[in-house]
Amino acid sequence: MTTINLSQPLDTATRPDNYLTHTRGFMSWAFTLDHKRIGVMYMVSVLISFFVGGVFALLVRTELLTPGQTIPGVTADVYNHFFTLHGAIMVFLVIIPSIPAALGNFIMPIMLGAKDVAFPRLNLFSYYLWLFGALFTVSSLLLGGFDTGWTFYTPYSTTTPAGGVIPALTGVFILGFSSIFTGLNFIVTVHKLRPPGMTWFRMPLFLWAIYATAIIQVLATPVLGITLLLLIVERAFNIGIFDPSMGGDPVLYQHFFWFYSHPAVYIMILPAMGIISELITVHAHRHIFGYKFIALSSIAIAIFSFLVWGHHMFTSGQSPLLNTLFSLISFSVAIPSAVKVFNWMSTLYKGNIVLNTPMLYALSFLVLFTIGGLTGIHLATLNTDVHLHDTYFVVAHFHYVMMGSALIGMIGGLHHWWPKMTGRMYNENLGRIACITVFIGFNVTFFTQFFLGSQGMPRRYYDYLPEYQIYHVISTIGSYIMACGFLLTAYYLLASLFGGRIAPANPWGGRSLEWQCASPPPFDNFATQPRVGDCYDFTAIRWDEKEQGYVVDPALDSTKNPQLAAKNLH
Amino acid sequence: MNIASTIFSNLLAGDPREGRTLWLPPQDSNLAVNSDLMFWWINVVCYFFFIGIVIALVILVVKYRMKKDRPFRTDGPLHHLPLETTWAVVPLFIVIFIFYFGFRDYLNFMTPPKNSYEIAVTAQKWGWLFKYPNGATSDDLYVPTGRPVKLSMRSSDVLHSCYIPDFRVKKDLVPGRYSYLWFQTDNVTPEGAGHNLFCSEYCGTGHSNMNRKVYALSQPEFDTWLTAQSQWLDKIPEEELYFRAGPKLYARCMQCHSLDGTKGIGPSWKNLWARVNGGEDGKFVDGTSYQSQIGAGKQYQTPEDYIRASILNPGEHVVAGYANAMPSFKGQLNDKGIDAIIGFLKHMDEFDTKGKYLKEAAPSPKVSMK
Repeated sequence: MTTINLSQPLDTATRPDNYLTHTRGFMSWAFTLDHKRIGVMYMVSVLISFFVGGVFALLVRTELLTPGQTIPGVTADVYNHFFTLHGAIMVFLVIIPSIPAALGNFIMPIMLGAKDVAFPRLNLFSYYLWLFGALFTVSSLLLGGFDTGWTFYTPYSTTTPAGGVIPALTGVFILGFSSIFTGLNFIVTVHKLRPPGMTWFRMPLFLWAIYATAIIQVLATPVLGITLLLLIVERAFNIGIFDPSMGGDPVLYQHFFWFYSHPAVYIMILPAMGIISELITVHAHRHIFGYKFIALSSIAIAIFSFLVWGHHMFTSGQSPLLNTLFSLISFSVAIPSAVKVFNWMSTLYKGNIVLNTPMLYALSFLVLFTIGGLTGIHLATLNTDVHLHDTYFVVAHFHYVMMGSALIGMIGGLHHWWPKMTGRMYNENLGRIACITVFIGFNVTFFTQFFLGSQGMPRRYYDYLPEYQIYHVISTIGSYIMACGFLLTAYYLLASLFGGRIAPANPWGGRSLEWQCASPPPFDNFATQPRVGDCYDFTAIRWDEKEQGYVVDPALDSTKNPQLAAKNLH
Repeated sequence: MNIASTIFSNLLAGDPREGRTLWLPPQDSNLAVNSDLMFWWINVVCYFFFIGIVIALVILVVKYRMKKDRPFRTDGPLHHLPLETTWAVVPLFIVIFIFYFGFRDYLNFMTPPKNSYEIAVTAQKWGWLFKYPNGATSDDLYVPTGRPVKLSMRSSDVLHSCYIPDFRVKKDLVPGRYSYLWFQTDNVTPEGAGHNLFCSEYCGTGHSNMNRKVYALSQPEFDTWLTAQSQWLDKIPEEELYFRAGPKLYARCMQCHSLDGTKGIGPSWKNLWARVNGGEDGKFVDGTSYQSQIGAGKQYQTPEDYIRASILNPGEHVVAGYANAMPSFKGQLNDKGIDAIIGFLKHMDEFDTKGKYLKEAAPSPKVSMK
């Protein structure tokens, strides 16, 4: 049953045994099979990578303050390494694993009322694969780095003199397997470990999103692995696959690459959408609106994601027929995305909204995702894409989706589940300030780049014409504002670990299972398998002064009161 | 919109071209007209939805803030099938409309008219060569106004992409394939206001310095220019070749070869003639030295032979410390052009580090590049 007991307020001095204190020492973490610890290790690793990728982003933006060289010593070649590393780190080491592997690992089994994921050893193995992949990728720096762009387009990637291309490719290859195993693990977990009473359409929407993501991970990532292997073979042994001077076809590489990397965009955004579904309903204390449409739209997006890769190649020499089909199918992604946005907004209607930090991130997500989605129309339309392709318009668009939506969603989720993960509350006011700072900085940085791109500035440029400078200066200032927001976030989150208020089991008033076990959760999550009701039914949630958190009023709890349960069936 | 665009275009210092708006650069080709119209309509759709969504969000958040002392209100609807179906279907119709018009216009982009004037384009790391039907070549693109122009493009190394923002056209150049791009411009380019031409597919070190200009000339002016351009090298007397043609040809080499001794993508040309003439000895990548390769009875009988081979077949002997990065200029430089480069190298001391001739004021060229 739930660990919240109204007659026994949580005594802060004698915190019950939890997953952080259950065992101690380095080995207890390095060889842990506990999904929560693995989730925390992922989270720490991802956040460190985010910091490194962010430093490269700031270097890129600073270098672009003036045409030609701005930072002493940063030549065109060094700059090319910077943006390549920024892209590769942010995509492969940060965004792809951030939500499923870090937050998903921690939250998913608890949401299911399970003790762990289906394959705990495989889970730990995934983490070590991630670690080795990351080490390979970063070690390429010592071997001469790589300047291919994160896309590794041939024949540049097979002919560049940079020495670190093969280690980097190997690293990404290994990271791919980490992602595949995580996906596999989560699919089995969702299928086999749902508690009695939790039918598919009673799962929290975060689980739907994670499940849809896992399907893409398992089906798309192997293609990336094979492609990168072919690239390694071509570069190392001069076997002509993609290089036309050896009888290959560079456009074939683009097809292979985007066959993975377009679905990968949904590996990034779908789990963030899942988080937003949770954040909005919990912080509006209001049943989610249109559950089935949101759940099924996740699956629709996962399916469409496999059919649109060619929209990255409208100017590549792909046939007009293919371009036409890919343009048409790309537009179809707009429908499930629009459904989600409108349903989230309807969830606010007649809600009980509290503007906590996680809610502010959720609202930021709605605004930024709307911009990212709408500007996708310009790029999916064939004739306008001819002008905008490979310009800063594309850069701005995908940052709105990958950072403004996927990463903002992740950070919102981090704030939402931070009390659960650490057992501490962070400073709410600083949280709000940081969120607003990041939101403003983000828009200054990237909205400017829409103008930059539509005015004709191509991407991946070290040097540029003076007429574009004003946009670059504004964009760089925005990136500094954003950096301040993130540094503030790092500060108050770290400070909360040492001096933060002890978190109650349910600080926000959530109804899904993770809010029914203590913060931080005990080693086995739940002593007995909990009963499951409607995870979005907030009628029984009450604020409790003694607890300083929300509790479930047993008198109104439909999981214990069959009559109420019958009445709540709409 | 107009005020905003005026402010914005004033912010863009140093751009002589007119007609820039808040979102788009000057519109100067037939294809740009429909493309911009499409862009504008999509913007209208975006503004409508974005502003609507933000206003709705603000109203919802303000109106439904939690009241601390009251129990939760639980009267919100859980789903509403007609409403949800509406907001799934309405966007569907909108995007199908947008798709259709974008597609119809795109077919136009993909279909160069039969009577197009064809210019051959070769891209290589990191420059462009435009070759006209009469054999003339140029580094900047010159096109006649009032008739369709078709670029028939290929790359001699990695992927490049030809992008002319003012014309709203772009196409990748793929090694091993030919690709086409066409446009028609009806406006003669004003003096000093050439349209930008960019490489928009990442291609390494010099990617951002592959920008060139596009000049549109009226048909008679274009014909005059074309004739002059095809003959400019032939008209220069042999004795003036090195200082009149040399610096001009060097403009295509300066991306990689400096004149002041700075190490670039390739070796500097400073003292190069002395080096290959048995001055200080240098090594090639394969371990052999200049002196073992250049000289009577060796692979290159004379230093001139070596320079010529390095231009036409640069991969044969790569200087130690450099990558095999140089493309072949076979078919791009004739013998007279190569003579000019060799003469330029021999008389390096008569030029400054930018390639400007120091001996006298640059002789007035009878043939102008416009």
